[in-house]
Amino acid sequence: MVIGLNHYLILAAALFLTGAAGVLARRNTLIMLMGVEIMLCSVNIVFAAYSRALGDMSGHVFVIMNFAIAAAEAAIGLAILVAIYRIKRSVNADELNSLKE
Amino acid sequence: MGDMVFYLFALMTVLSGFFVVFSKNIVHAGFSLMFTLFGVAGLFAMLGADFLAITQTMVYIGGVLVLVLFVVMMTRIPAQNLPKSSFNRKIPAGIFSVLIFAIVFKVIGGTEWNVLPVDAPEATISMIGQKLLTEFIFPFEYASIVLLLAMIGAAILIRERKIDDDEEVQS
Amino acid sequence: MFVNITIPNWSDFAHFVPEAIMFGAFLLALMGDVIVRGRKPVVPFLITLLGALAALYYSFASPPVGDAGVLGSLVMIDSFAGFFRIVFSFVAVVTILFSWSSEEIMGSTREHKGEYYALIALMTGGMMVMAEARDLVMLFMSMELVALTSYVMAGYMRNSLRSTEASLKYVIFGAVSSGIMLFGMSLLFGMTGQMTFVGIRDALVANPVNDLSMLVVLIMIMAGFGYKIAMVPFHFWCPDVYEGAPTPVSAFFSVGPKAAGFALMIRFFFTVFQPIVDTIDWPLMIAILSAVTMTYGNIVAVKQTNVKRLLAYSSIAHVGYLLMGFLLLTPGGLQAILFYLLVYAVMNLGAFMFVSAINNSIKSEELSDYAGLGFRAPWASVMMFIFLVSLVGLPPAAGFIGKLYLFTEVLREGWYWLAIVGVLNSVISLFYYMQIARAMYFEKVPEDAPAVKIAPLHYVTMALLAVPTLILGLYWSEFKAIADQAIAGF
Repeated sequence: MVIGLNHYLILAAALFLTGAAGVLARRNTLIMLMGVEIMLCSVNIVFAAYSRALGDMSGHVFVIMNFAIAAAEAAIGLAILVAIYRIKRSVNADELNSLKE
Repeated sequence: MGDMVFYLFALMTVLSGFFVVFSKNIVHAGFSLMFTLFGVAGLFAMLGADFLAITQTMVYIGGVLVLVLFVVMMTRIPAQNLPKSSFNRKIPAGIFSVLIFAIVFKVIGGTEWNVLPVDAPEATISMIGQKLLTEFIFPFEYASIVLLLAMIGAAILIRERKIDDDEEVQS
Repeated sequence: MFVNITIPNWSDFAHFVPEAIMFGAFLLALMGDVIVRGRKPVVPFLITLLGALAALYYSFASPPVGDAGVLGSLVMIDSFAGFFRIVFSFVAVVTILFSWSSEEIMGSTREHKGEYYALIALMTGGMMVMAEARDLVMLFMSMELVALTSYVMAGYMRNSLRSTEASLKYVIFGAVSSGIMLFGMSLLFGMTGQMTFVGIRDALVANPVNDLSMLVVLIMIMAGFGYKIAMVPFHFWCPDVYEGAPTPVSAFFSVGPKAAGFALMIRFFFTVFQPIVDTIDWPLMIAILSAVTMTYGNIVAVKQTNVKRLLAYSSIAHVGYLLMGFLLLTPGGLQAILFYLLVYAVMNLGAFMFVSAINNSIKSEELSDYAGLGFRAPWASVMMFIFLVSLVGLPPAAGFIGKLYLFTEVLREGWYWLAIVGVLNSVISLFYYMQIARAMYFEKVPEDAPAVKIAPLHYVTMALLAVPTLILGLYWSEFKAIADQAIAGF
């Protein structure tokens, strides 16, 4: 069977949900952020695959913008994580409960 | 041959992705993230997106991953102290993911997509450059503001500061 | 291969004067803060205040005329964008003015106050661009700029665990929801092969996509917007962030990014889904989301004892009211949303500002500490009473007119049960808003109550908000006409 668009899409969906499951199931905020990075990567695969299928370079441009945003988001997310680690000496989401419900 | 390479990359990406998410050791998770990102770069190459493959390697592996590993080392927690994700979170997360995957699978299967053209495209870099500087000039400029903010914001957030005692007592 | 290049028209950059002013103010304020070091950040304050005033003036003086896209048609400067430029620069002016006397931000233990003003300017510019985006790329990027700025602001303004924790939650929820939204956008791109909203609409009309795929894409994109506007079930971050951040920042967050999210949402959904609104269960989906959001916000707000948290839940409830205008994506409904956003911006900002002004003196946001405030700070309390009346939606305040338009649209479209839910919710909201009023006027002043002293600048800014709240309630037709014209420009 020739590798077509669907293969890439299903792979991307699997990767996306792996990342999502990580964010939902894990309580370590660092791993949650890694899960988010995986989710963003999977979106990039979808865009690149469609770009190829449609013969339209706009998808590639979107991926490049996504790189920039993902890098910025990682930088800020990790900075907040470091800030909280300095105060609390922990990055476990379950222990972060100073805000009452 | 091409199919084999695709499955190899796909397997590498997804398996190492699983390892990132479910690994007990955070250092292992960080390193297997490298394989995930590298696998994605390989998939880009297979899609004829040569520029994206290179950028992926440089930005993600050279930038984001290094940042993540720095933080892993800074917030070094003894491996055995890593919190176990409790049972009652894993089950709903698993069910949710499988359910969504089923829906997306159905969506992807049920939609008529164009198939990939057989001929490999030429080098994409000049086409991307043209797009970026003509049609997408505004987001291109806008990205510079976003990156500037990221730089300044990260610096603002992590510089040394006093912790207010009164607010600590409250919390 | 270099034949088909269309050089962008560089003079198009002249259309972005208010945005350029705000981004420029951001850079200048940062530099000024470094160069002139003092006890109070006078330079950043003045630069951003003047910048916001200049942007406000420019937005009024030369409203955008054409509705053609500029710079490769990724952004659109139409009367709709012009309307939001006015709203955002007004909100920025008020927030900057107010923050100058706010102990929470300018207090002696705080450091690096200059950057606060710079970030407000940056966020204002970002929100203006959000109202102009008409392309998936710009949609995503403008949302992310505002989101990233708010993560930074939520995190660093208070040197406390609570604030940092709130911003961590904010980042993680935000990143996940924008990831989900991106996945939806990538599928939408694949289905249509288009990036611009207009192109997507035309492609969807020409080749309809099957219902299930459309619904999945819609829900995924809704997740991103829902997070931005704090719609149930994407609201978790909202009370925590509002409580953890300093009150002027919460006030800014509860008005600015929320209105920007609505602006982007209106442009996206109106352009893309308006022709095919009947083929998907759009009205039912929105009706349920709206009803759930307002009911949840109001019911949880009743139990709150912290006024800031109460206002956070009430702002969730207001998102529910606003969503009613989306029912059938008719111009009438959208005009009602726009007018209500204007009213909401004024009254909600005012209520938060009162909380912050009181916090300056008594260092508390608990409802029990508000006892007898009506006699300890009579003028401020009167203004707060106006804001509360408006938030409930009682005449003669502006909130009444805003709600009236929204309910009229819902009834015209025949969604009676939703209108009934909305009215019942207003009754619930009367209960908890009046709890604040009751504490202020009908509870005895405790013996050991600290004296309340309101800064002159706070009186000025609160009057700047209280007067429009009344004016919009009495002479609204002019302002409604501006909102109507903004939608008519589509």
